[in-house]
Amino acid sequence: MNTNHKTRDTAGAPILAAAGMQFFGRMSAAATHEIKNTLAIINENAGLLEDLTLMAEKGQPLSTERVKDISKRLAKQVHRADLILKKLNRLSHSVDLTRERVDLEKAVIFVLDLAGRLLEMQQVTVEITPPPSPVVVDTNLFYLQTGIWMAIDMACCCADQEKQVNISFGTDSTIPSVWFSMGRADKDQKGDNMKALFESVEDQALLAYLGIVIEKNNKNNGFGLLWTKCG
Amino acid sequence: MSEKVLLVDDEKEFLEIMSERMRARGMIVTATESADQALSIIEKESFDAIIMDFQMPEMDGMEALKAIKKKRPELQIILLTGYATVEKTVEAMKIGATDFLEKPADLEALVEKIKTAKAEKMLLVEKQTEEKIKDILQRHR
Repeated sequence: MNTNHKTRDTAGAPILAAAGMQFFGRMSAAATHEIKNTLAIINENAGLLEDLTLMAEKGQPLSTERVKDISKRLAKQVHRADLILKKLNRLSHSVDLTRERVDLEKAVIFVLDLAGRLLEMQQVTVEITPPPSPVVVDTNLFYLQTGIWMAIDMACCCADQEKQVNISFGTDSTIPSVWFSMGRADKDQKGDNMKALFESVEDQALLAYLGIVIEKNNKNNGFGLLWTKCG
Repeated sequence: MSEKVLLVDDEKEFLEIMSERMRARGMIVTATESADQALSIIEKESFDAIIMDFQMPEMDGMEALKAIKKKRPELQIILLTGYATVEKTVEAMKIGATDFLEKPADLEALVEKIKTAKAEKMLLVEKQTEEKIKDILQRHR
């Protein structure tokens, strides 16, 4: 057993837990907000059906095409809500195992999907370049997801005016890595944000727990997460 | 006279159905998916009430509220939100929101609030007109 890892666990446990809770809270809030929007549309469609029924009772012909259309809209929103709940459920189950082998690309895609609404609110576009072969790390899935979100959030803050973030994966199989680039290097505010990368106590605790080192890439206004200690 | 309403929400389908149901109740409805567009629209047109989603891309709800009130202080704004906290509600009211409703909202309750908002707006406009007339009369004495 890796005793260093166990020591890391105990020492930073409360701060780590706080970082995890913040991530979980943010994702849950975004998901539940979206579900509320879905319910609002379902509610209005149900109200519309009621309106049409009342009008039919007063002698106005009821269009079956209209009713079919409303029915399809309702089904679409139910499906949408179901997808959101599936993602939330998957996030909730990511705490089931303390440690497992995780495909980094799949983890990144999941977190982007989970945070879709948040990224939309910031009007940020994210593009992923898949790795030539799977990049796998042995880690705690929940905290990995927390770390990925932390990196995505940071990338969005540092993104230039085009608000485009590109994610790619390193090719060195001995040091798994994920790279975030946010366009051209900018001298002003974005450059200042890059200086303060992951300096909070929570960020530092998370990076230490996951065995991640941050490497800046000033050429493309980016940074990388490098797994120097797998396991 | 029919109530004239501006609906602002980034959910297109919600806008479409809400617009249809409000028009069926005799209202004149303009709908837009963004707060930025709403700000352009209110420069050219007047409304009895704006019904606005609190969380949209481009502009934060509080920012949008401040921007609208700055351009047209007489406009009555009813905010729709997925999650209304006491703090949010109080802050929005301080900025000048007329009311705050949680989604999914009951349309009949919303219609009543719009009618109340229209009456409030008419009182405000009347008061502003009276003050302008007083001002003109004083200057010409």
